[in-house]
Amino acid sequence: MPRTRRTSSSQDSPTYESHFEHTALFEFSKVINSSLDLKFILSHILLTIMGKILSTKGMVLLETGKGRYVVETAKGFPSELQEAQLTIKRIPQSLFYVDKLRVSQYPWLASLKKHGVHILLPMFIAERPIGLLGFSERFSGKKLTTMEETYLRSLANISATAVEKSRTVSEIQQVNRKLDRKIQELNTLFDLGKEFGALLDPDKLVRLLVLSLLGQIGVNRYLICLRDGSDMKVAASRLDGPAPQGELLMKLASVKAATCVDDLVVKHDVDLREALLALGLRVVVPMQTQGQTKGLVLLGEKLSREVFSPVDLEFLSSLVNLAVISLENARLFQEAIEKQKLEDELLIAREIQKGLLPDVIPAIPGIEIAATNISSKQVGGDYYDVLSVDQHRHIIAIGDVSGKGTPAALLMANLQATIRALAPLDLSLSEFTQRVNDLMCRNTGGNKFVTFFWGVIDDRSRTLTYVNAGHNYPILLRSDGTSIRLDKGGMILGVLRTEVPYEQEVTQLKPGDLLVLFTDGVSEAMNKDAVEYGESRLEALLPSVRHCTAQEITDAIYKDVLHHTKGAAQSDDITMMVVKVH
Amino acid sequence: MSEFKIGVRETEGIHVLELKGYLDAHTAPKLEEAFTNLLTSNRYRIVVNCKDLSYISSAGLGVFMAYIEDVRKNQGDIKLSNMSPKVYNVFDLLGFPLLYEIFKEEREALRKFVDKTK
Repeated sequence: MPRTRRTSSSQDSPTYESHFEHTALFEFSKVINSSLDLKFILSHILLTIMGKILSTKGMVLLETGKGRYVVETAKGFPSELQEAQLTIKRIPQSLFYVDKLRVSQYPWLASLKKHGVHILLPMFIAERPIGLLGFSERFSGKKLTTMEETYLRSLANISATAVEKSRTVSEIQQVNRKLDRKIQELNTLFDLGKEFGALLDPDKLVRLLVLSLLGQIGVNRYLICLRDGSDMKVAASRLDGPAPQGELLMKLASVKAATCVDDLVVKHDVDLREALLALGLRVVVPMQTQGQTKGLVLLGEKLSREVFSPVDLEFLSSLVNLAVISLENARLFQEAIEKQKLEDELLIAREIQKGLLPDVIPAIPGIEIAATNISSKQVGGDYYDVLSVDQHRHIIAIGDVSGKGTPAALLMANLQATIRALAPLDLSLSEFTQRVNDLMCRNTGGNKFVTFFWGVIDDRSRTLTYVNAGHNYPILLRSDGTSIRLDKGGMILGVLRTEVPYEQEVTQLKPGDLLVLFTDGVSEAMNKDAVEYGESRLEALLPSVRHCTAQEITDAIYKDVLHHTKGAAQSDDITMMVVKVH
Repeated sequence: MSEFKIGVRETEGIHVLELKGYLDAHTAPKLEEAFTNLLTSNRYRIVVNCKDLSYISSAGLGVFMAYIEDVRKNQGDIKLSNMSPKVYNVFDLLGFPLLYEIFKEEREALRKFVDKTK
């Protein structure tokens, strides 16, 4: 009956106490199970028991795996005990006293005893120990009663489940966090993969790589180098000192996998590690494709001060390898564009050049003229022209513009325009040349020049009046077999304004005379052994072909040049003009 | 392509950047540009309001890292506010709360600047 029980309990002290203690146990359980905060739970366990048994010191040791225990919380003990570690192989199943056990059997007891631990209360989940509660002797010095011992065991059981629950939850939280972090890493790789693929500008790619590294790893010191031929060039950096140069970087190119600077082993070189550490760098990640190191990523310390873990290094390798593929693609793309641009430009130059050369050479009574221009791959800037000033006077001209490609072609066009514009004026060839030179000086700013030869053939007097402005001397092979070089004139065009007037010379042309004008593309045509064709070879050839037509002579010269070069690619245009006097 | 927008306003000499949308590898250069503009005109007290920021990638976080040193060297700071839990989680995962002050409300971030100058 309830009434009887209540009456009896108020009289019977142990039953009353037991009721009180059940309530307390329930309260205790409620409190420590209301939280997942391990610190709070442990602290509450210690304070409850210390209050119950009136002990001034208490500690909790928790099992961390393989019999290793760590002091998780301590009250009343010296602070250095916090986080102290202990290896406990065997542990009694229930409450025990340090004095009652033999240290020889439980060697780990010694250190606890030294700190004044007297009562030990193990926490078990089923048969598995999860921790140990330790307390100093009771303040009163009294022993625990059997009932108190039972009560403490109950507290230990309740504590064990609460502690286990809290630790499991926190473990799950940690696992979740690791998982979140992995997902974040994958997101980063995905995000960058997408973006890298769309970028073709290496500078932008490098910047994006930098930002991602800074954000993902949390670093603020970095050095990114890219291989450029046999050299490593710094592409981006933020360092505590000047960025390292070639040699040091090339040494690092031998690093085959992401490595912490501390673990760096580079043959015969201890300074390398020191040099990197001094710059604030902590990790080296090679950028590799097809077994080749295309670049390097070096990072400084994490702002969190954590060391780089193997997982970090793995992530860095993935990220960097992703980047290197895109960088490589960007580089190839740039190269292709450059090449295309160059080819387009050469095409333009070639077309300009072709457009400038006369389609038809005007017929001059008693004079036969043939000319040819074979432009090299780069388009050399050679020029020849034949035009009639009036019924009887005809200009022949040959020139070679410095430089190649479009700029040379444009200057050539400029020269031709000048000549054609000035031709109708009644000027001597010398004055004429001076005007052309001064105009060209103004137009080119003196950084380009033209070697130029021109002459006026008068078909009535059968004379050639010429000025040679620094051009290869044309060869005039007389009908009697003697040959002279047309070397009168002055300075090349386009460099300096005329100070000394150009000299002009008049030569009488006779039937059977052969005049050959050529550019250095003929005389300097080289074979594989870098031997030039040479003007003397040309001079030697002429007597044997002088009876041929002008066109045949041109062809013969070209054939002889080809015979010399034997298919070696020529870097300059080959241009010549042959004038036969009948 | 996802949208990303930045609004800039000034209160009491503090510049507030309002981020809206997706901050990822593609849009990070926009934020860089905004920071560069502030820094070149010597504005170093910056609050970044993330109220309408729906996503941030590591490249986006990298922008904060790239400018923080220069800002702090000039006695300024970049403080962050109004993050959604999803965005905060990314900041938290990568350890940013250690390096940046993150506030629930923009006005708390502003007050922190003002209090400091008093």
